[in-house]
Amino acid sequence: MHNIAEDHLPLKPRRHLALLLLAEEPTYGIALMERLEARSGGRIRLNAGSLYRMIGGLVDDGLVEPLEEVAAGVGAPRKHYGVTHLGRSVLRAEARRQADLLELARGLDLAGEVE
Amino acid sequence: MKRTPWFFRLLLRLFPAGHRRRFGEEMEAALRHRLEEGGRGPLGWIGSWSWAASDLVRHALGMWLARGRDGMRNGLGSVWSEGWGLDLRFVGRSLRRQPGYALTAVLVLAGAVAVNAGVASFVRGTLLAEAPYPDADRVVLAWGSNPRDGQLRDVVSGPNYLDLRRATGSLESLAAVHVGSAVLTRDGRPVVRDGLRVTPDFFSVLRVEPHLGRFFGAAERSSRGPASLVVSFEFWRDELGADPGVLGRRLVVDGEPRTVVGVLPESFHFLRSASLWLPLPDDLLAADARTRIHYHLVGRLRSGANPGEATRELSGVMAEIAGEHPEVRGWGILVERVQEASVLGVRSVLWSLVAAMGVVLLVALVNLVTLFRIRTLGRTGELRLRQALGAPAARVARVLGMEGAVLTGVGSALGLAATPWVLGLIRGRVPEWVYVPESALRVPVLEAVLDPWVAGAMIGTVLLAGLVLAGPALLDAVRVRTSLHPSGGWASSRGAAGTRWLVVAELALATVLCVGAGLTARSADHLLSTDVGLEPEGLLAVWVGDVGDRDATDRTAYYRRVVEAVEELPEVRSAAFIDYLPFLGEDDFAGIDILDARRERDRELREEWRRVGEGLLETAGMRILQGRPFDSDDFRGAPRSAVVNESFARKHFDDGEAVGAFLTVHGEPYEEVEVVGVVADLRTLGPGASAPPVLYVPQQGGPRGSQGLLVRTEEGREMALAARVQDAVWSVDPSQPMAGMAPMSTMVDAWVAVPRAIRLLVMGVAAFALVLAAVGVFGVVGYAVRQRTTEFGVRVALGASPERLRRSVVLEAVPWVGLGVGSGALLGVLAARAADALLYGVRPWDPWALAGALVTMVGVALLAVWLPAQQASRVDPARVIRPE
Repeated sequence: MHNIAEDHLPLKPRRHLALLLLAEEPTYGIALMERLEARSGGRIRLNAGSLYRMIGGLVDDGLVEPLEEVAAGVGAPRKHYGVTHLGRSVLRAEARRQADLLELARGLDLAGEVE
Repeated sequence: MKRTPWFFRLLLRLFPAGHRRRFGEEMEAALRHRLEEGGRGPLGWIGSWSWAASDLVRHALGMWLARGRDGMRNGLGSVWSEGWGLDLRFVGRSLRRQPGYALTAVLVLAGAVAVNAGVASFVRGTLLAEAPYPDADRVVLAWGSNPRDGQLRDVVSGPNYLDLRRATGSLESLAAVHVGSAVLTRDGRPVVRDGLRVTPDFFSVLRVEPHLGRFFGAAERSSRGPASLVVSFEFWRDELGADPGVLGRRLVVDGEPRTVVGVLPESFHFLRSASLWLPLPDDLLAADARTRIHYHLVGRLRSGANPGEATRELSGVMAEIAGEHPEVRGWGILVERVQEASVLGVRSVLWSLVAAMGVVLLVALVNLVTLFRIRTLGRTGELRLRQALGAPAARVARVLGMEGAVLTGVGSALGLAATPWVLGLIRGRVPEWVYVPESALRVPVLEAVLDPWVAGAMIGTVLLAGLVLAGPALLDAVRVRTSLHPSGGWASSRGAAGTRWLVVAELALATVLCVGAGLTARSADHLLSTDVGLEPEGLLAVWVGDVGDRDATDRTAYYRRVVEAVEELPEVRSAAFIDYLPFLGEDDFAGIDILDARRERDRELREEWRRVGEGLLETAGMRILQGRPFDSDDFRGAPRSAVVNESFARKHFDDGEAVGAFLTVHGEPYEEVEVVGVVADLRTLGPGASAPPVLYVPQQGGPRGSQGLLVRTEEGREMALAARVQDAVWSVDPSQPMAGMAPMSTMVDAWVAVPRAIRLLVMGVAAFALVLAAVGVFGVVGYAVRQRTTEFGVRVALGASPERLRRSVVLEAVPWVGLGVGSGALLGVLAARAADALLYGVRPWDPWALAGALVTMVGVALLAVWLPAQQASRVDPARVIRPE
């Protein structure tokens, strides 16, 4: 486990989006899967294997942690995942990295259409 | 909650255990979610399933790969995950450096695998194969059996069959089969074909379904029923042009037009393959005498019944019949599974082969372990260096293990590739047809092909045995660090001592096989040189005639003219008829009275008899032991003379003094005939079996409708004469058929084919074991010599002669060779005593066989010692002493 946020950079797009969504609101696996699909405009479609390989990786890296079980309205209790302190630092670091890149691109007049 | 489909639960197991523990349930939930979401219609279903499955497989594999990469990167993966490629390259290099070792190991293993897989496949294909009928283990043969008269497996008469058929306690059904031939007339020419006459229930007993049409039914139970005919698939394909409209076609069989009603399935055979199948009606069966036995019986056991019960039940019926018909007294029924009866003739060969194979496999494995151990010992220095440089013991063992695996893999693959060839070799040596012992029945030896199960089992055995046996060598290698450098020689090295014992074991096992080979060779020689009672060389035999419908005078005249026509050929020395040809396993029994001095019945017997034409005994080359042969007067006027064979004379007369006795044959025109001579026994059941008693009488009155003709010519010219004999027979009457023309020597050979096959196979196997043992001895002695190179160098420098060095190496090996060969010879004799039944005319301690085996083994072992000894004597002292 690397405790320095920069060691986790750059974040892969699906990892990045998943971290952002979990930072927005802790949630359980299936819901995360659906939100990833919705927020990426259908570009990030995960299935059980890929979803939990990613979640496992995030947990192992210490960016995400399972929360106390939260009872959903009906059915079995679902395990929710939330972003750790390290996870938030990594998100910030990634945002800074991308902001720097954006700055550079703007200086070269290559970011016009990004607005 | 719905369950996850088992297929996906299985796929989930591909993930590492820790991952499954943490996320297993959630993954199942997510999976179900995706499956439900996508599952609209078959296309959606297929899409969602294949997506989920590929996703699982891909990421499970990905996790394992990543784990391996991490392990290597972090150095946590221990010796097992690193350096595989490096080690493999190392193994390849070191094997290339010693190609002799690699080649020997691979060839030894390939040979052992090929030979064993071949034999195992053959045994599985013959001894253990299922007959091609449904529930084949319920199909049985019911033999007429009269053990007291030495007739264990005989045929049954028609009326007896009809009574036996009513016994239904242990049998579902019982059919009668008449094995013989049928004459097919095509384009005016008679052709003899194998033909079976069967009762209509025959096909239901075997539960066989027709390829076309139907089989016989109730209508064919009577001889007034339709004249039907069933043909074999092969006959239909090859001779009727596979005509789909064959049903209803008429063929002339035995002079009668018959309608084809059905075609058998492909390659169907029962007891033998026959082209023409004719119905055997009940009234024909009932019309026969109780003592005229013709029919093989085949039945189907009720489920749960066994042959023993059926034997008791049917023998009980026979006892009841004997109450009313005393002439069948003494006859019971022996019921055997058809499968068992079919392999009786080859069972001994097969089991002796299996035993020999087991020993060869053992020799090969011991050999490999010896080689492996020697190589490991020889690499002590190198292995120690590797450990000193920091290679963990496990890594060293892995290199050795990999080497073993590479050699085993290549050897097994080569061996399996060669297996079909070995199988062909075995098949070529084992006869296609063998006689069921004590019966007149020939059955085919089933075909065997390389069986994947056998191949798998073979490789498994080799690997497992190799692992168990190579274990000690691996351990030794790992312990090298703590052991001393094995200096000193053949007598003092601890590691080498172990290999010496292995070689002793190997020599002993190979000697066992050599003794076995010597004994089988000697007993086969005995069998092959046994006097069979006639001179088979230069004798041609052929079946002639189908004149059963003519009157007796016509028949006699026909046969006489045939003999005259054949004898006119310049190459023919003589020709004569006999009612049944010998060595075809046929028998014909008659009730015989032996008369006392007042010419009244003294004893009543039932023995085989043959009616012979004039000159038969001379043409066949049968030896007269007492009295005289028939002369031409014996064939004129009323019958008055007979000749008996040696067994007959010994069995029924004090001191075998049969000449001068008077006999009467029941129901035949041979009344009060005098025994004028005794001939040597014809060993018609093979040279190893005892000859049945036989009565010979001159052929008079009405001969049979077809007979055997023996033609005496020059040795080796029999078949050259065949076409001209055929022309001569047809010059008398072109409508008469001929069949089965063959040299008598091949008919006799059929009976020795099995012992001949055993001899060849066991000798081949023993030769292989001999080579293996020699390789083992050579390897061990060679290693010892290499270890002592320095010592030899010093000795040469101090003035020892090469002769002396050679002698010392050889002498040190002699006690070990002696121990191995001696104990092997002892074991061989013990094994031979256990397998006494396979020997003929040889005792287990036969001095010639033993001496042959000992001389061969010692000779080969000493040669294997001599070669390295030679090397020892050529050591250059300057070169070996310099490093010291």
